[in-house]
Amino acid sequence: MASSDALPGPRRPRPLSPHLSVYRLTMTMAMSIVHRITGAALYVGVLLLAWFLIAASADAATFAVFSGFIQSFIGRLVLFGFTWALFHHLIGGIRHIAWDSGYGLDAPLRDQMAWATFIGGFALTIVVWGVGYAVR
Amino acid sequence: MAEHPSDLRTPLGRVRFLGAARAGTTDAWFVHVTSIALIPLTIGFVWLILDLLRKDYNGVRAELARPIPAILLLAFVLAGIVHMELGMRSIIVDYINGQSRAWALAANTLFAALLALACVYATLRIAFT
Repeated sequence: MASSDALPGPRRPRPLSPHLSVYRLTMTMAMSIVHRITGAALYVGVLLLAWFLIAASADAATFAVFSGFIQSFIGRLVLFGFTWALFHHLIGGIRHIAWDSGYGLDAPLRDQMAWATFIGGFALTIVVWGVGYAVR
Repeated sequence: MAEHPSDLRTPLGRVRFLGAARAGTTDAWFVHVTSIALIPLTIGFVWLILDLLRKDYNGVRAELARPIPAILLLAFVLAGIVHMELGMRSIIVDYINGQSRAWALAANTLFAALLALACVYATLRIAFT
């Protein structure tokens, strides 16, 4: 994979990506930042899934430790955040696929899509948690 | 590229019109392929977790040992971990320079590989024991 220019040239440092303070905040930009943050959060959050799978593959006592954590207040808070990050990143990803394909880039629609990501992420999280509490 | 003290052109000027590097889109391509796979897989994964909420240890084991949940889980884990490895790689390349970039990229790949192996091992162990 060729994107890893690991060693810098001897002459000058490689350019950095423009930082957040350079631009006036817009909705599309905010959602771009949140997309990256939720992606990074999910990166850590996969550890929770790994813990769940490893615990389930072990004995009942090991699983009870995971089960106890995830049902605790902290555990629920982490799982709620994981759910939101997952849905926000999912909807944001669909938006990025649309944009990368050339759809939805016009002025009113691109902002509407950014707002839809913002609202949809919370809406889906609340719906799924409602279903979760209803079925258990 | 060798330094040419007598050459007044900028580094950009020297490489313009030499054509594309023929590389560099591979990562972006696989981010997109895995992202498309992850749309249905994420919906299936959330569905599976909602189903597991009602179950105890034995119920969870029995459910995850069935073919469709097990295959769904393996696909979600593998597509998700490839996707997150590539995503973190682009974050690293954006913000970290120099020697520490190489270490960060290596750590990212090794972390993702270890996580994938652990998840796949656990899923297969549930399915086959």
